[in-house]
Amino acid sequence: MDLLERDTHLEALHGWLEDASAGGGCIVLVSGEAGIGKTSLLRRFVDEQRQASRVLWGGCEALFTPHPLAPLYDIARQAGGEFAKVIAAASQREAVFNLTIEHLARTAAPTILIFEDVHWADEATLDLIKFLGRRLQRLGVMLILSYRDDELGTLHPLRSVIGDLPLGFDRRLHLLPLSGAAVAALAHAAGWPAQRLHELTCGNPFFITEVLAAADKVPDTVRDAVMARMTRLSAPARAVANLAALVPGKAERWLLEGILPTTAALLEECLAVGMTTLPDGALAFRHELARCAVEESLPPPQRQELHARILEALLQRPGSEIAAARLVHHADRAGDTAAVLRHAPLAAARAASLGAHREAAAHYASALRHAVSLPNETRAQLFEWRSYECYLTDQIAEAIEARGAALTLWRAGGNRLKEGDSLRWLSRLSWFNGQKAAAERYAAEAVAILEPLPRGRELAMAYSNSAQLAMLAGDAGPALEWGRKAIALATALDDTEILSHALNNVGTTKLIQLDAGGLEDLNRSLELALAGGYQEHAARAYCNLSSTGFRIRDFDRANRYFKEGIAYCEKQDLDSWARYMIAFRAATALAQGDWAQAAEDAQAVIEHSRVAPVTKIPALVALGRLRARRGDPGADSVLQEAWDLSLPTGEVQRIGAAAAALAEVAWLEGSPQRALAVLRLSAALAREHPDPWMKGEIAFWSWRCGDPAETANDIAAPFAAQIAGDWRAAASGWAAIGCPYEQAMALADSEEEDELRAALDIVERLEAAPMAGILRRKLRASGVRGISRGAQERTRQNPLGLTNRQMKVLAQLAQGGRNADIARRLFISEKTVDHHVSAILAKLEVRSRGEAAAAAYRLGLWAPENGERVAKK
Amino acid sequence: MPRYVIEREFPDGLNIPVNKDGAKTCLNVVGNNATDGVTWIHSYVSLDKRKTFCVYDGPNPEAIRRVATRNGLPVNRISEVQVLDPYFYH
Repeated sequence: MDLLERDTHLEALHGWLEDASAGGGCIVLVSGEAGIGKTSLLRRFVDEQRQASRVLWGGCEALFTPHPLAPLYDIARQAGGEFAKVIAAASQREAVFNLTIEHLARTAAPTILIFEDVHWADEATLDLIKFLGRRLQRLGVMLILSYRDDELGTLHPLRSVIGDLPLGFDRRLHLLPLSGAAVAALAHAAGWPAQRLHELTCGNPFFITEVLAAADKVPDTVRDAVMARMTRLSAPARAVANLAALVPGKAERWLLEGILPTTAALLEECLAVGMTTLPDGALAFRHELARCAVEESLPPPQRQELHARILEALLQRPGSEIAAARLVHHADRAGDTAAVLRHAPLAAARAASLGAHREAAAHYASALRHAVSLPNETRAQLFEWRSYECYLTDQIAEAIEARGAALTLWRAGGNRLKEGDSLRWLSRLSWFNGQKAAAERYAAEAVAILEPLPRGRELAMAYSNSAQLAMLAGDAGPALEWGRKAIALATALDDTEILSHALNNVGTTKLIQLDAGGLEDLNRSLELALAGGYQEHAARAYCNLSSTGFRIRDFDRANRYFKEGIAYCEKQDLDSWARYMIAFRAATALAQGDWAQAAEDAQAVIEHSRVAPVTKIPALVALGRLRARRGDPGADSVLQEAWDLSLPTGEVQRIGAAAAALAEVAWLEGSPQRALAVLRLSAALAREHPDPWMKGEIAFWSWRCGDPAETANDIAAPFAAQIAGDWRAAASGWAAIGCPYEQAMALADSEEEDELRAALDIVERLEAAPMAGILRRKLRASGVRGISRGAQERTRQNPLGLTNRQMKVLAQLAQGGRNADIARRLFISEKTVDHHVSAILAKLEVRSRGEAAAAAYRLGLWAPENGERVAKK
Repeated sequence: MPRYVIEREFPDGLNIPVNKDGAKTCLNVVGNNATDGVTWIHSYVSLDKRKTFCVYDGPNPEAIRRVATRNGLPVNRISEVQVLDPYFYH
């Protein structure tokens, strides 16, 4: 069948390839339902480009547990030579990824790199896509991904990969079914009733091909159409087709021949009914839908027998490397327990070393299904491995279940060391799952079991785990005590990994209590982690150094570690840690008055499909506060979600943050009593913990909302001052820290016109409409005249409607400042500068920075002699 | 996608001429909006041209503000709204 209604798609592909060759690279996402013609489109595109470009084509297969990096191995085979050899030999993820980049970078010609059917991709392939996507620019590669978008649930891992692709390089093609007119034309040519054909196929090109080729009369279903074509085969050819239907992807010629007499004539016969052969002689169905239809038409006992014969043939293949995932697939379906138990753990270990942890977890599950007769110790070990792989892939409930099964088995065998270590793991997993009480129970049990045994790593980790739980809950005493024990034992054992872990918990605890010694501990934890290559520990040190910086309002430190930490995590692909810091960066930007940055960071976190509650809560809190302060809709819903997520954590740092934000919204809306219940709950929680800033925030809002809190003296200074009525000290405190909105809120407590006007000035600059309204009412009520009407007042002062901030950016820009310099000088992010520059160019109706500078000078907005703005009136 | 009404104040009056330049101005706004998934449906302008009520579709209020900055347009208030059709009441 000709390629109908795909001309614009082809044109787009050719255009993008041209752009990519000139500009360095792009990613094309080709989506559409099964059978819609994604492969046909790409084949045609590649055929038309073959002269000009190098094409590397890899596909993912519908194995029950996909073979890690299957498309890359396809590609390596096509590329041949040295690359094929080194890729086959490499067994570590980093090595494989780097070799791939090197290979792609080496060729000058534009390369079309196709990953087909990535909705079936294993985790390592998805990571590779992310890895390549971030390095596209210097590779000159057009990366094409095809997938069935109707099979992606909201939690499908491909979604987050697509969401994380670098902005500005992605191009999208969504393939729609053929139009009624096209279907009618095809029906007419074949002498079919057009309406019936359309009803049956909904315009799906694969279905149409099958139905038109099926028989003389219209079949009832597409499956009938596929099967009708199969009935035309002779018995021996039918047997070959049936066998091929059990091999996802393609069935190699040697495999078929090893099981059935497969002559060229039989293959010819198969081709005639719509199967295809590949260049290497392998037999494949033209479409996965057809393969499934044939596979499902076979009676189960026959299927099982064929799987057993395929497995046997694969195992007899001399000197070849058959992917373990493939062996497991057929062994499992053949019901061959011994073979599953032999190959699944190997497949799992291979998958794990390549970073395909989801697939590793699935292989261990396959092994465990067949493992009933194995000795307890072996099974316990399998459960532990499965639990770890599940933990790495955010399948926490499954991780807990597997770890619990291992615990039962170790306990039955009397292995106390393993029992204690399993309990320590269960504690960590329960915390991840938001079950604080269970986490604490397991932690205590682990210590109780391990302490009487010879003192080793397991006990040191159990101590450090207890320290971590106490740190997270804000229980400083126990956190320091457990931490001290962990540090002593880790030092005695000379175990730098546990030492780094323990120092992190102790340092964070100290910092929150405003004990400067914590910084030293945390820095040492980071150094040990970086030196030892403990990536997760390094990421956690960066997270705690930066987020505590925010929590104790040390913004310089917070921002320094956000920058270093996010860069480190992005380089190591530790995305969830990077997101944790981005969430706290949103909170920091909000506090510092950089609201555009706060909005961007908060949205980036929230829009992500898989984000842990501990990360989502600060992002939601920042976004809710931002909306409330701007008077924008949607504050309540995000803060309610933050509150709901925070409660099960039982941790004051999260519950208190959500409560304070809810109180701020209620107060701005003039119904502060609405927040009293959440405030009382958090105040009771905060009372137990030495966290002066969190205590202060809750005390402040309780006071603001009319619930005179006990004015504890261990709360942070600006809050204490304002509660005591010394708004002047509070305002200068906030000004010194660099929190303009809080400074204005303190000034707003004044009765003096000057201070109220200063406050109004600040909130108008921030475009904080509700607070500006409150201040204007207060000024008018005290008899002050001539209050500006609205936030845009100041923009009137120059003819082009530039805001004050934009005037400042323009002045810097006119002096030749680059965005990075301007950002540093004005204490805003580069992205915010970028937004301002675009706005300035638009308002001045110019195209370049140079023209903007000239216009500014011409209009008298800026005088080059002193670099200052010239008053326009 | 949520719908918003955005109130904007133009103390010196809004003037978009009904000619090629006016069309270009509007298309420029539409283009700037598109990069953030924001759609300008239409606007109501007060007779003194000092205030507009703009009906927009957009993913969230932050996107509405981001494109406003890019377009150099003021934002005085954003309200999330839904349609009430009097003729659906019987």
